Amino acid sequence: MINPFQTRFAAIFWNEVLLNSKRVAPYIVAALSAGNALLWWGWGPATGRNMATNSDAFIAGVLPFFCFLFQPLLAMIIMADPTVRDFRAEINPLIFSKPVSRAEYLLGKFFGNFFTLSCCQFMFSATLFVLQWVPKHGMVVQEAKFLAYPKHFVAYVVISYLPLAAFYFTVGTLTRNVKIVYGLGLAIYPLFISYALVFLKRLPWRWGALLDPLLINWGNRNEIHATSAEVFNQLVIVYDSIFIANRIGMILLTAICLTILYLLFTTAERSEKAAKFTFISLSSAAEGVYYQDSSPDQFDPAVMRSVPPASAGGLKRALSPELSLDPSAYADGTDLISREVPALPEVARLNEVIRANVNKLVAAIAIEFRLLRAERSLVVVAPLAIFLCLLEVAFYNIHADVSLSAAYASNTATSLLIFLIGMAVFYTGEAMHRDREIRIEPFLWTTPVSNSVLILSKFLSTLLLLWALIVSVGVAAVAIQIIRHHTPIDLVAYGKIYGLILLPSAFILTAISVLGNVVLRNKYAFYVVSIGTAAALFYLYSSGHNHWLYNPVLYRLWTYADLAAGTRMILLYRLCWLAFAVTCLALAHLFFERRSRRKANLPLPFALR
Amino acid sequence: MLNIKDLTKTYPSGVQALKGISLDVSAGMFGLLGPNGAGKTTLMKILATLLEPDRGGAEMNGIDLIKDKHGTRRMLGYLPQEFGLYPTLTAEQTLHYFAKLKGVFDKKERGMLVDALLDRVNLAGERGQRVGGFSGGMRQRLGIAQALIGQPQLIIVDEPTAGLDPEERIRFHNLLAETAGEDAVVILSTHIVADVSSLCSQMAVIRQGAILGSITPQQAIDRLKDSVWEATVPREQVGTLKSRYPVISSQMFGGLARLRVISRTERPSEEFVPAAPALEDYYFDLVNHGTTVAETRP
Repeated sequence: MINPFQTRFAAIFWNEVLLNSKRVAPYIVAALSAGNALLWWGWGPATGRNMATNSDAFIAGVLPFFCFLFQPLLAMIIMADPTVRDFRAEINPLIFSKPVSRAEYLLGKFFGNFFTLSCCQFMFSATLFVLQWVPKHGMVVQEAKFLAYPKHFVAYVVISYLPLAAFYFTVGTLTRNVKIVYGLGLAIYPLFISYALVFLKRLPWRWGALLDPLLINWGNRNEIHATSAEVFNQLVIVYDSIFIANRIGMILLTAICLTILYLLFTTAERSEKAAKFTFISLSSAAEGVYYQDSSPDQFDPAVMRSVPPASAGGLKRALSPELSLDPSAYADGTDLISREVPALPEVARLNEVIRANVNKLVAAIAIEFRLLRAERSLVVVAPLAIFLCLLEVAFYNIHADVSLSAAYASNTATSLLIFLIGMAVFYTGEAMHRDREIRIEPFLWTTPVSNSVLILSKFLSTLLLLWALIVSVGVAAVAIQIIRHHTPIDLVAYGKIYGLILLPSAFILTAISVLGNVVLRNKYAFYVVSIGTAAALFYLYSSGHNHWLYNPVLYRLWTYADLAAGTRMILLYRLCWLAFAVTCLALAHLFFERRSRRKANLPLPFALR
Repeated sequence: MLNIKDLTKTYPSGVQALKGISLDVSAGMFGLLGPNGAGKTTLMKILATLLEPDRGGAEMNGIDLIKDKHGTRRMLGYLPQEFGLYPTLTAEQTLHYFAKLKGVFDKKERGMLVDALLDRVNLAGERGQRVGGFSGGMRQRLGIAQALIGQPQLIIVDEPTAGLDPEERIRFHNLLAETAGEDAVVILSTHIVADVSSLCSQMAVIRQGAILGSITPQQAIDRLKDSVWEATVPREQVGTLKSRYPVISSQMFGGLARLRVISRTERPSEEFVPAAPALEDYYFDLVNHGTTVAETRP
């Protein structure tokens, strides 16, 4: 009988768990899950309402919301790249040359990572479980419960995440591009909200609950929020036929997703790459160039010895007799090795003056912008950003306080700010770390280019990208205004809102991102820090603590009426933040890892590189 | 031309990569030989301004390579052991970009330079092809092409022929040999003895962060004159012979082994016949025994 722990599937499964145990991401997911539980426990809906934080309804009731908040993004980080990592590390030939079937490989990878994800997410329920014994003033606690936590966790969280994890895994594996998965991961929220608002809400309750992947609608049937604390504390969650059908549906979805992956997955090199490799035939008789026939019975150690030492004059005198330079050695008759090579022309070089630096900066920006445009995630992110920013003005009634143009511009600007934050963080990270990731850094860093050119080229190219997006949204908004006959077009309103709010915000966000990436020297660390900081700031803003001193994008700090009345204060705020952005760039230059002079740059003991 | 004095580097992990290295290198090809982990790449990175030494200095043509990094980069051409290129750019675009970064702004001149470089590295036919589809050899040739931009006086190539097929390797050697003139120093770091033997007029052997010997390849071979012996014996005898004589290399084929030993005074035994010394003999002897017969010769 086969021991399930001694199969190739199990080997791949446990290897994935081992690999994940050495990564930072799972620990972050676990820590965020535990922190989330702490917030639900101490400051959640049960606070001050006499609801028991270990009642069955509470334990189960918080799980759909836990699933919705942050978890799709965190699952994306773990499930996007299990196979991509193999291809990136070029370990795939070693694995695929073993007698491992595609099913064993894919399922081992998927379930190994999903197990890790579930363990990390379980920190939410585990924390709530432990908190049963932590006293808090005014908190109602029932007799300790044990099985309710894992039972509801599996039913609500694990099964809810199976299809999403399978989807991320499938897309990542088939495209071998994590950025596409990240783009889709970011799109999950607007898609899910649209799905819930436009589709689920219009369905009868039963169908709404049946088709709700996170079971938020199923929970609402119990009218938990409207129930008194006494009743709430006595509620026992029983899984009905709709719940079970929903869960079975999720498992079936997962199976379908993984089946599609199994059918489409190939272990071979990509065809485009193979085509390019076969296009060039490097050698027609390479073996004949270097060694004589050296079968064991003809072994001649003289062949294997080194050739006589060369004089300074070059190679040709030193090559015979071991290295054949005879043109006849080549099947096509060409003598590629010993042919005369052209002399390199003398060129004038300019490295000292400011004009040289400006020219280098322009050249570097052109390349950086080109590389940013080649980012595949942009194909998803940019249209999605434009679409969602224009959604309201395109399909809903616009309430105009001052003018329709002002309403259009304000509406699109507020939506676009959120995307600007995400894109500034993400694409600056890509630009700042791309050179190291593709290992071109040694070339660039040994050219006579100042650090300011290297940093500014990345900063300005990202800024250019963001400004291009802003302009695109603006042009599209004007077009929609015309199509909907909401004329006249007030371009001054667009100019004021976009010019004072969006364009400077992009500048400030990009500058802060550049500094963050330079200081942390790890884009993933910077992503985590950015997400955490943004979440905390938006929480502050939404809870009424909003001030321009800690609101660089002036989110919810302006109306068009303010701008129309006078721009002096807004300009002042903008100037302060722009000065801060310039300071960030100066600090980035100071902390930049590449050195211009000996000991010129400051050490960074907290850098994560 | 290039003077390296007492370069020392210890990594934060505690590994002492360089232990006070001093070298004088004149114009031409200089081979730096050593086994993996000897400290070659660390030395190359320091000379290429990518790494800061703990102590010591390096100077070339009046420029302090450690302190004046910008000045060094103006005269430097560097091909690291491992590198990448922007996959979405073509070979031509890549060279144009690096030429601009090296200060070649005149469009006509730059065009001529890029054309000549592509021709020199035999990539003229693939100039419009994206680098992402290049083979290892083509990428390596493009790497050396970018290192040759702007008449560099110091060219550093770190393990350049690893992974190249024999034809590519010879073509690469030719390129380097033609580049090394009277005005330029080409430092070739490698663990392939044949590369140094066929290319370099000077060489040094490095092991565990220290220079074991700095010599010309011809001198190295001369030192082993009349000291190298060779025998073809059954495999079973290898262990006995190794324990009895200072074996510098053994190669297995069929059921036999070919041993090379160094004996400066007498023929080791009847199985052995005199053999012409090779640079490998010098290298293996130096690396394995820490000294050569030349140093022990009375």
